[in-house]
Amino acid sequence: MTEETAPGLSALLAESSIRLDLTATDQEDAIRQTGAALLEVDAIDVAYIDAMLEREKSISTFVGEGVAIPHGTLAGKDSVKKDAIVVLRFPDGVDWDGNDVRVCVGIAARGNGHIALLSQLAIVLLDPDKAAVLRAATTSAEVYELLKPDPQDGYSP
Amino acid sequence: MPERTVTVASRVGLHARPASLFSQAAAKCGVPVTLTSAGGKTVNAASILGVLSLGIGHGEVVTIKADGDDAETALDSLAELLNTDLDTA
Repeated sequence: MTEETAPGLSALLAESSIRLDLTATDQEDAIRQTGAALLEVDAIDVAYIDAMLEREKSISTFVGEGVAIPHGTLAGKDSVKKDAIVVLRFPDGVDWDGNDVRVCVGIAARGNGHIALLSQLAIVLLDPDKAAVLRAATTSAEVYELLKPDPQDGYSP
Repeated sequence: MPERTVTVASRVGLHARPASLFSQAAAKCGVPVTLTSAGGKTVNAASILGVLSLGIGHGEVVTIKADGDDAETALDSLAELLNTDLDTA
């Protein structure tokens, strides 16, 4: 654990950034949609989307449990205006280099803030039941509930 | 059990790209490897989610442990990986 004190994931997630019923033609389309959602909440400059595609070419952001976490390269950090996450669900799945992705959690973070964010997200996804809830979520409230800081994980003050 | 204590060199810590490269290497090395954070939490090093969940930052000291015939070789190569800045992209 680092000593970073990040706000809970849910605090960085705008209601309008939770989209549960999307379709994507392919992986690149899904990443572009994820980037567009970050752009809409004014978290990034448009250049960050290219950095996200670049990152994905360099190494997949698939993390298991049907989830990918598209984000930019280190070079793309200059394009981040504020920390934010977006949650996009593709119920029909997206072929992610042979893996089936149902949920894209897009991440924009300045400095080292992303480490705490990714850690919190990973702790949620490590619980197969919670990951299943995320894949099947039909309301924004369910997503918020999942991403609320859990005092037992040590993220609350 | 053989182990190595290593300082994480990646500027961004053990997050997406460095974490992916590390956990993939751990999965391929043929022996079970665990990763323990400075805070004492231990995860399966081959699990990207496990590695990410530790939230390991740059300069943090971690311990890797492995068992089996190839443990020493595996730990040497994994320790070298952690000693390298993996996020130069």
